[in-house]
Amino acid sequence: MRGEPEGPLAPEEITSDSAFTLPGFFDALAEGQLLAGRCTDCGTRLVPPRPACYDCGSRAVRLEEQPHTGTVASYTAVYQPPSPFADLAPMTVAVVELDSGARLTGRVTATLEDVEIGAGVQLRVRDPAEVGVDPEMHLSYEEEWPLHEFDLRG
Amino acid sequence: METAHIATVGASPVGRTDLPGRDLFSRALAEAFEGLPDPAAVVDAVYVGAQSERYENQIMQGTLLAEWAGLNNRPAERVEACAAAGALALKNAVRDVRAGVHDAVLACGVEKMTAGGTEGATNALAAAFERALEQRSGVTAPSQYALLARRYLHETEATETDLARIAVKNHRNATANPRAMFDHEVDVETVLGSDPVAPPLKLYDCAPVSDGAAAVLITTPAAVSDLGTESVEVAGVGTAANTLAVAERDLTSVEGADVAAGRAYEEAGVGPADVDVAEVHDAFTVCEALLAEAVGFAPEGAGVETVHEPAERSAGWTDVRVNTSGGLKARGHPIGATGLFQAVEGYEQLTGRAGDRQVPGADTALLVNEGGLADAHTAAHLLRRAR
Ligand SMILES: [Zn+2]
Repeated sequence: MRGEPEGPLAPEEITSDSAFTLPGFFDALAEGQLLAGRCTDCGTRLVPPRPACYDCGSRAVRLEEQPHTGTVASYTAVYQPPSPFADLAPMTVAVVELDSGARLTGRVTATLEDVEIGAGVQLRVRDPAEVGVDPEMHLSYEEEWPLHEFDLRG
Repeated sequence: METAHIATVGASPVGRTDLPGRDLFSRALAEAFEGLPDPAAVVDAVYVGAQSERYENQIMQGTLLAEWAGLNNRPAERVEACAAAGALALKNAVRDVRAGVHDAVLACGVEKMTAGGTEGATNALAAAFERALEQRSGVTAPSQYALLARRYLHETEATETDLARIAVKNHRNATANPRAMFDHEVDVETVLGSDPVAPPLKLYDCAPVSDGAAAVLITTPAAVSDLGTESVEVAGVGTAANTLAVAERDLTSVEGADVAAGRAYEEAGVGPADVDVAEVHDAFTVCEALLAEAVGFAPEGAGVETVHEPAERSAGWTDVRVNTSGGLKARGHPIGATGLFQAVEGYEQLTGRAGDRQVPGADTALLVNEGGLADAHTAAHLLRRAR
């Protein structure tokens, strides 16, 4: 992980080894590490990490490991999902706010009726082959990327 | 700077048709140029709003439609921001005319959404969302907006019944619009009892999958005089892009629409209270409420009152009439053409051609077209009756 960046990334730092790129972000996720970019100017957390902060425009963004627990900010169920997800329908989806304040969207492994705003959830990282989505969905460079989902806590 | 005017408009029927995209465009252009010289004698450049090549396996829509209009060797290009593509074509046409680059520019939009069935449309529209984390979680257009709707119902006093009333109002408006896809009214019970799509959104909260094309000619005032048509001034334009992923946005405040409409108001020297009629992007019922608040018509949490007569609305509401065309919900939503269908309604309202849905004395119209989730892209236009 990058040490003490106080300014913009150099071109040679933007490679697939870096979690500031999607391959690097998903490599880390496959190892159980969820990374965000944290803006050192305004504190905003960005998932996945990227070179600039959308809130304030600063390029002083550093990597920060995120907690795997959070709460549901909003949720729904997808009754007619895109075709690769047909076997999972109806599928609960939520925007989750992690305990750090970072947010990300993901499937929830519970029925709609069991979810509510504020419900506690825990991130789980899955091998895409285990999830039940059509492998045709994956672009060539996505084939090894894990899929994430959330389990209800408690 | 030149002023830009809408000199003429045309549109195809909206809905499920047996015409491919280019033929829908031919219908729209034939109406726009009825009684006028050949497009080749008038049009300097073309912009085409089109969401996706998945429907007809055709890119190069600028070239194709210019060819079909008989416009050889002229600038012609497609623009894309999902459902905001139509208004982006309009924005580019206005910019070129204002800058003196061209005297007359055709802004058109086309979508043949029914070509791949419901599944084809679902997949094509899902491409508008963030790929790495959100598409790969199986999101759809209704599910993304349902996340906004759920949160809106949580944070405000509004109910699912209030959202249903928006669909009822827009279906009623559409019965007075001969261009509309639907010509039947619905009641609140029908909306509430319709099939779940992405709770709290149900089938009747969602705009339909539609085919359609629309064409709007933007010219200088001098070119309007030459054509002898009745025109409407495009007095203000504003666009803004704001976050692709739903997780990164404020779920109940459509900031980009506030910014884009604010720019359009400022250019025109008007405010929300000056707007008589508005076409806002009701791809889902909740959008109409969110946008009414974002563009300054309604106080926070009171956006669902678009359905009420002005005198019955809460304090702080303006007197604007919203989605007199029937909106995306009932006029229909052929994605890349929708922003131009909004312009067609604005033109008809401000030239007194809106028939049974005419708002008496309408002088100022706001068009708000959005692409992606909510304000992932907003394009706003302020139209004013020509003086
Ligand atoms: Zn920042």
